[in-house]
Amino acid sequence: MQMSRRKWIWENLKGRRTLYLIGIIGAISYNILQLTAPFVVSRLIDTFISGENAAENLKNNRQLFYTYILAMVGLTLIRTAIVYGTGMTFESVSQWFLYKMRNFLYNKVQRQDMNFYNTYRTGDLMTRLTGDLDAVRHMLAWVIKTIIESISLFTATMVYFFIMDWRLALTILVLAPFILIVIILFKNNVGQKHRILREKLSGLNTAAQENISGNRVVKAFAREPYEIEKFNEANKEFNEMNKETALTWLKFYPYIETFASLMPVVLLVVGGLFMIDGSLTVGEYAAFSGLVWAIANPMRNLGGVINEFQRFKAASAKVMEIYYSEAKIKDADDALDKPERFAGKVEFKDVSFSYEGSKLPVLNNITFTAEPGETVAIMGETGCGKTSLIHLIPRFYEVTGGQVLVDGVDVRKLKLQQLRKNIGLATQDVLLYSDTIDGNIAYGDEHLPKQEVEKFARYAAASDFIAKMPEGYETIVGERGVGLSGGQKQRISLARALAIRPSILILDDTTSAVDMETEKQIQESLKNLDFPCTKIIIAQRISTTKNADKILVLQNGRITEMGSHEELIAKKGYYYSIVALQMGEEV
Amino acid sequence: MARNTYREDEILETPFNVKHLLRSWIYVKKYAGKMAFALTLSAFGAVAGLFTPIISKEALDVAIPDKNKQYLYILAVLLVLSYVVTVLFNTARSKIMTKVGQNIIFDIRKDLFGHLQKLSFNYYDNRPHGKILVRVVNYVNSVSDMLSNSLINLILETFNLIFIVIFMFLVDVKLSFVVLLGVPILAAFMLFIKNRQRRAWQQVSNKNSNLNAYLQENIVGARVTQIFTREDENAEVFSELSNRCRKTWMKAVSYSNLLWPGIDNISIWIRAAIYIAGLIIFVNGNYTAGTIIAMSSYAARFWQPIMSLGNIFNNFLNNISYLERIFETLDEPVTVDDKENATEMPPIKGEVVFDHVTFGYEEGQTVLHDVSFSVKPGESIALVGPTGAGKSTIVNLISRFYDINSGRVLIDGVDISGVTLNSLRSQMGIMLQDSFIFSGTIEDNIRYGKLDATTEEIVAASKVVCADPFISRMPDGYATEVKERGGILSQGQKQLVSFARTLVSNPAILVLDEATSSIDVQTERALQEGLNNMLKGRTSFIIAHRLSTIKNCDKIMYIDNDGIMECGSHEELLAKKGYYYKLYNAQKEDAS
Repeated sequence: MQMSRRKWIWENLKGRRTLYLIGIIGAISYNILQLTAPFVVSRLIDTFISGENAAENLKNNRQLFYTYILAMVGLTLIRTAIVYGTGMTFESVSQWFLYKMRNFLYNKVQRQDMNFYNTYRTGDLMTRLTGDLDAVRHMLAWVIKTIIESISLFTATMVYFFIMDWRLALTILVLAPFILIVIILFKNNVGQKHRILREKLSGLNTAAQENISGNRVVKAFAREPYEIEKFNEANKEFNEMNKETALTWLKFYPYIETFASLMPVVLLVVGGLFMIDGSLTVGEYAAFSGLVWAIANPMRNLGGVINEFQRFKAASAKVMEIYYSEAKIKDADDALDKPERFAGKVEFKDVSFSYEGSKLPVLNNITFTAEPGETVAIMGETGCGKTSLIHLIPRFYEVTGGQVLVDGVDVRKLKLQQLRKNIGLATQDVLLYSDTIDGNIAYGDEHLPKQEVEKFARYAAASDFIAKMPEGYETIVGERGVGLSGGQKQRISLARALAIRPSILILDDTTSAVDMETEKQIQESLKNLDFPCTKIIIAQRISTTKNADKILVLQNGRITEMGSHEELIAKKGYYYSIVALQMGEEV
Repeated sequence: MARNTYREDEILETPFNVKHLLRSWIYVKKYAGKMAFALTLSAFGAVAGLFTPIISKEALDVAIPDKNKQYLYILAVLLVLSYVVTVLFNTARSKIMTKVGQNIIFDIRKDLFGHLQKLSFNYYDNRPHGKILVRVVNYVNSVSDMLSNSLINLILETFNLIFIVIFMFLVDVKLSFVVLLGVPILAAFMLFIKNRQRRAWQQVSNKNSNLNAYLQENIVGARVTQIFTREDENAEVFSELSNRCRKTWMKAVSYSNLLWPGIDNISIWIRAAIYIAGLIIFVNGNYTAGTIIAMSSYAARFWQPIMSLGNIFNNFLNNISYLERIFETLDEPVTVDDKENATEMPPIKGEVVFDHVTFGYEEGQTVLHDVSFSVKPGESIALVGPTGAGKSTIVNLISRFYDINSGRVLIDGVDISGVTLNSLRSQMGIMLQDSFIFSGTIEDNIRYGKLDATTEEIVAASKVVCADPFISRMPDGYATEVKERGGILSQGQKQLVSFARTLVSNPAILVLDEATSSIDVQTERALQEGLNNMLKGRTSFIIAHRLSTIKNCDKIMYIDNDGIMECGSHEELLAKKGYYYKLYNAQKEDAS
């Protein structure tokens, strides 16, 4: 259930609510204190400088003079200490909120299913977790503080005014409704603009992000001018929207400013009339005019605050969308607890599957079993559904019909973490992290000892080239593994998958960029792993498939052939034709 | 330079100096006229504002004591007028400055992005992409106010201050010096916090950059995180990075927030000093009440511009650390760039010569050592050999993605280091191992190879590479939207799309780097036919492990860590019974 913004913030301030209230009280108190120093100063002036007996008082009453001076300095010191303390309190609470919220959102995002990642672009998610979230922080740190300051200064001054002369106080207040009307008009006008502006910011982030990730393709096609043009469009749109939003404020600003400036004028005219008819003294008038800023400034500030508030509203909507997003694929309430190592049996029972929002079926009536320790090879044309099939085992996607069972249990009934901990997957699209090679191989188990890392690198036939690198296992690879060749990346990714000693090892065409010789080595070590493991291997090469216990041929999402190498050759179907093709061409 | 990761702060290569600030003048200069105009408007506004105390005084001193209501009304109207005029001037100024501020950051961002396009692979390979991104978007946003409004306010407040000081001295010299006493105290105070504050804000930008790097990499790698069930460990790392951001921020604001209370206190000390000096110490000065009140009000007003200046100073200290990073990126040397007298590469016929080429990605490490070979126009060359031997490196050098350490790479006899990159690369078709797909439609992705390609051309290219069947089967055909990194497409399909993209560009030299590794054998076979047509008349370099793909090439080069070991046609190399022969037999054995 999505809460209102206010509740959402309040709920997430749990643990710092008292501190935040202390901050608010601090803000109220220093604004009231702000009125005391001028009061002391006016007493000092009256008594010692401009009053009737000033000279005498100064001579006879030094004590009081110094008391006033001390009060002046002391009150300011106390007030500024409170200002500093309050400021730091607001900063501390808002930073704490930011810290907590950012962690929460990060966790939310990293546990989302693939549908989520197909919906939100990287640049967009980045914006939500940085810029948008910062607007929420700004609200807590600054906007609310300013609102409290304005209200308390306004109220305190108004109380003071009413005590002094209620008629004059009322006449000043006459202008307030006008300011409020302008502010409301402004608020309605600017809200939509802030929403668009957040979108443009996200667009700018996305444009830059994609360009940076795709920098190799950009250069390969010498498309820099085109990219610059594309980016500048996003840049321009953001620029224009920023201006438009700011100019909207400037459309309303003159009215607010004029009304606020009219306050001293009204005071002068009405106060002047009262003075003329003798119902107001000059001293009283001076007290009013000396403090009229304390009424006018909060009114002025309100406009700016509303602008910030609308920005917060637009940004928080985007943050809250992630906050309340739920992964569709998550542990069932009655999920089975299976903490022990899985045996590794994989079963597909009449499985059909299509991607969300697409009617096109990707898989149809898939039924097969991989017994613990068996090797199952999957072969088929590009786009026939091989990768989709294996992605159903770690439950990256939900089947649309039938069942996928691991160790005889429907994967939907297993705990995601326990299921995935038992699966080692080396994907086609190899994604390494900007970390050392050692760190990349030990990704699934940070505490893997060095010898183990080296052992798994050996299994993946990667130890030779790693040893040749300048810093060996400590060499840092760039983001997404740049600096390594395709085959090298694939081998590290394989070592990474092996290093968690999975009960189910899934290789999605992991050796496609590896040369024949190396591949042979890999096949050999896969046969002799020092832990039991069911292997499901997508491959194009006969050399990989021929030793499998079972080969599945997938065509247009259906299993058309299934059996051992010999059986399928005897069948003289698709598999046979591939064998013939590869042998015919290579022999 | 070693590769940077989210774990380390980036070292600032150029320490701060005033030059950084002067340098921003390049961006401000363009709008100097507008800013001067805005400044003038502000000055007019200030002048109009000067009338208000005079009018008020007239009302209080003349109209009210005289009980002249008529005059009071007139004065009120004048007062309203002067306020309205002030507001209008200020609004006009703000409008101009808003536009100027936004335009300045538009310009900076444009330059920054443009410069990033020139930087070679090395730059992108050596740092997390999140750290680049944060500069282009977040940092640039941060400096907008500093380079526009702050600049104007700096000038205005300085003038304001000068005027106040002059007025103050006109009233009384001795007491003015008392007011000025506050300045050294303030200066000492500012000096005390300045360096600490600046370092603290640099830390904030570093920690933010690290967080961004980690965030971006993990969003991209979500699937890997999930399969390795690293969520909890990652959450811990992230929380640590996030906590560092919080701590550095708190430290930085603990200095920044000192400024105002500091000025506030000094200002009240000075007022106290004036009362004490005026009333007690300089008794023989015989100050009138008016003088003392005037001086204490000047003292208060003297601190107003100082407060504003302090605020500008704060803003400046916070944002200079972002500006430093922006300029650092702009200063990043373009390692592979057009030479000063670079010429256009004439239309390529396709002769490629490597003349004693030595190259290494990092200093002290060579990948290619003294490599020489030559390729005739129209020849197709296959590069085979173990992974990591430098096959990709050779093809990368033909497009001059990197500059070689020694030797020459010649195309049609022209040393490619002497021609413009754009004229060279736009004639080459390079299909990289990483088939990056942009978000957009499939059609847009293929059109990336030739921006003015017609739909027919795109379909034709797709047919050649056997991508047409699967694209047509998609719900929206060529108009199907693919998400960032290809989303719904399989790896093989991405390769086919990126293949079509290369073909449509109709290159003079074609480079296929593992272009078909994820494509199944049957599709590849079908594709081969179209490809053979494509290869006709074009020089092409093909890297592949499947020997079926390369058998028909004119020349096969066997490369291993020691360089080019063999070169010749399939038959020649088989006859030679060397490396290639061994490789070929290994595959044959495997297949059977």
